[in-house]
Amino acid sequence: MGTGGNVERRTILKAAGATAATLGLAATTGCGGDSGSSGDGTVTLRYAWWGGEPRTIAIKKTIALFEKKYPKIKIKPEFTDYQAFWEKFQTQASGGNPPDVFQNAVGFLRKYDKRGVLLDLKSQADSGNLSLDNFRNGVLANGQVDGKQLGIPVGANTMALVIDLKAFKKAGVEAKMGWTWDEYFAALQTIQDKLKIAGDTGYHGIMYLYDLYLRQNGKAFFTDSDLGFTEDDLTQWWTDAYKRVKSGLVADPKKIEQVQPKSGLSAGLAASEFTWDNFSIRYEGEGESDYGLAPIPTMDGKHTGQYLGSLMLSGFSGTKHPKEVAQFISFMVHDPEVGKIMGYDRGILATTEQYDAFTPTDPTNKGVKAYEEEVAKAGVLGKITPHPSGADVIEAAFLRIGGEVSQGKTKPADASKALFSEAKAAFAG
Amino acid sequence: MTLVKEAPVRPAKKRSAAPAAGRRGRRRENLAGYLFMSPWIAGFLVLTAGPMIASLYYAFTRYNLFTPPEWVGLDNFTTMFQDPRWQKSVEVTLKYVVVATPLKLLLALGVALLLAQSRRGQGLYRAAFYMPSLIGASVSVGFVWRALFSDDAIVDRTQKVFGLNVGGWIGNPDYVLYSLVALSIWQFGAPMVIFLAGLKQVPRELYEAAEVDGAGPFRRFWNITLPMISPVLFFNVLLESIHAFQVFGSAYVVSNTQCGPADATLVYTCYLYQKGFKEAQMGFASAMAWSLVVAVALVTAVLFWSQKKWVHYEEAAK
Repeated sequence: MGTGGNVERRTILKAAGATAATLGLAATTGCGGDSGSSGDGTVTLRYAWWGGEPRTIAIKKTIALFEKKYPKIKIKPEFTDYQAFWEKFQTQASGGNPPDVFQNAVGFLRKYDKRGVLLDLKSQADSGNLSLDNFRNGVLANGQVDGKQLGIPVGANTMALVIDLKAFKKAGVEAKMGWTWDEYFAALQTIQDKLKIAGDTGYHGIMYLYDLYLRQNGKAFFTDSDLGFTEDDLTQWWTDAYKRVKSGLVADPKKIEQVQPKSGLSAGLAASEFTWDNFSIRYEGEGESDYGLAPIPTMDGKHTGQYLGSLMLSGFSGTKHPKEVAQFISFMVHDPEVGKIMGYDRGILATTEQYDAFTPTDPTNKGVKAYEEEVAKAGVLGKITPHPSGADVIEAAFLRIGGEVSQGKTKPADASKALFSEAKAAFAG
Repeated sequence: MTLVKEAPVRPAKKRSAAPAAGRRGRRRENLAGYLFMSPWIAGFLVLTAGPMIASLYYAFTRYNLFTPPEWVGLDNFTTMFQDPRWQKSVEVTLKYVVVATPLKLLLALGVALLLAQSRRGQGLYRAAFYMPSLIGASVSVGFVWRALFSDDAIVDRTQKVFGLNVGGWIGNPDYVLYSLVALSIWQFGAPMVIFLAGLKQVPRELYEAAEVDGAGPFRRFWNITLPMISPVLFFNVLLESIHAFQVFGSAYVVSNTQCGPADATLVYTCYLYQKGFKEAQMGFASAMAWSLVVAVALVTAVLFWSQKKWVHYEEAAK
């Protein structure tokens, strides 16, 4: 420190300048985003999805395939679980920096269309960068909102009842196509009496199941812009559910809560659970019994209220490379090799090219295929309309409030009122 | 680093020689100091102060992150006070603060008293008791906690020995909050170390004099130790209460990110997070954040005010 003031100042200023420059540099690299094009014409796209590890492994293989076919396009993958995905996406999208291509679902189309985040892929299809042909069972419509094509389905799935095959057999009960709710709950009663386990893991908080029940009664959970049922309808649904929790027909929510993230079905707490059919693969991995898909119970002995839902791929409206985004999506939904790699992880493959290319060999995938064929044959499949903006918040609220009811913490009538009030806020948001 | 530390020393030397040059030198040195601090000042302004001011503005707007904020006056606050989930989150948080803070401090003080006695291997004991505080806030401990407090796990089995058949705490809305309280108490290391330091400051002769006068261990604690460490106790109460109001990580992880079941672990910050980042109601979330700031400030003010009644500063006694 013995040097003169001037020298010292110069050193200090230099040091400070260097610090500032470094910070500035860091800021530039931090904000620049990662997608873009480099000098040699190579384009990089960010591609984000949610799902478990098997899906991630499979998708990475399909990306490698794509990059081989399109050497000028590089894909940068981003993946998380479902919950974290949408939190992250919302933050990125609000900052104008969402991924170029991403997995999407019917509950989010209107929400992000309203916010101007989604790329209308119709014009890309018109200019020949993306093929909209060969989609099975009209699932392409799942990605349409107000005449815009905002998502391209990669698969088709439907709600199902997953059952513990051994438990059903041991109790001597059988699940048949077209069985009624009364027959279903009677079967659960037999299971409870004979095996001393609950019949169901907790159906009361599953919005998509309540939607089917409403459809069986000529309503639906959502209209284009609102809820499609009354407070009394929901009070009834939750009153019945709470009775069944109390009697042990539906599993104790305390126990279900504890085993999470494992399912109560694979933990052996109950003999059946409602979920999407393409999720059924998880039970074989988690649990020790054998699991199979069973039909949704009905009101009238025929109509299940089911429809084919879809996971899809969407693009960001502000992407610098809409053409490449369209090419990527087109490859991912049409290429037979991709179909072979993905299997039914995101639902039964949406296009005929991919559907024909993949022949399921394991019991789970075979089961999914047989299940959807059976449902299709029964001629009960209805249409789904894109949910209003806010549907995702309402789905979470339905699950949470349903949980409060089953825990005996909220009376069904109050719970129903609470859901309606939260829904109002969600639609306005 | 050393430059900044040495800076204040130099002007003093210079001033004696030439006052005018010294003043200039000091200004120059101040400039240098600020320049070196500039990354942190910039960081504070951009990453802390800026967002805070912005959030104060958002608190009076409806803001969903996508469309520009829309001024709504006090709407967020009136909605908030009427919101049953907000009320629930306040209730849960208060319960947590009121139960967890005193218990944690009691344990910290108790262990500090034991560790203050010199015995062989005391360094080892201190390290061992401090350890949980180092790892306590991590996500993995949250998972361990889930396992500990589930059905038929160690806590359940232990309570069964005493005839308590309530099952695991994790899925039970009536008990789950106490598993978080237990997690907080377990991390008593930081206040314990502060208590230890305070105990070391108590002059030995006071104890010797008291002993000569025939005071027993309890009396010595009550009449000497407690008043002498009351500033440290005050500091710990203050710090731990403020921390407890802001609890988030443990509630989020132990409840499997849902802050449930049945909102039983819906601590204030968790609801704030849900409103802001899940439902994108940033205006509402900002209003919540500022209400928390005001509430914590009030609690702090009350604690400071209560000081004169029970905190004993040696200077004041002289």
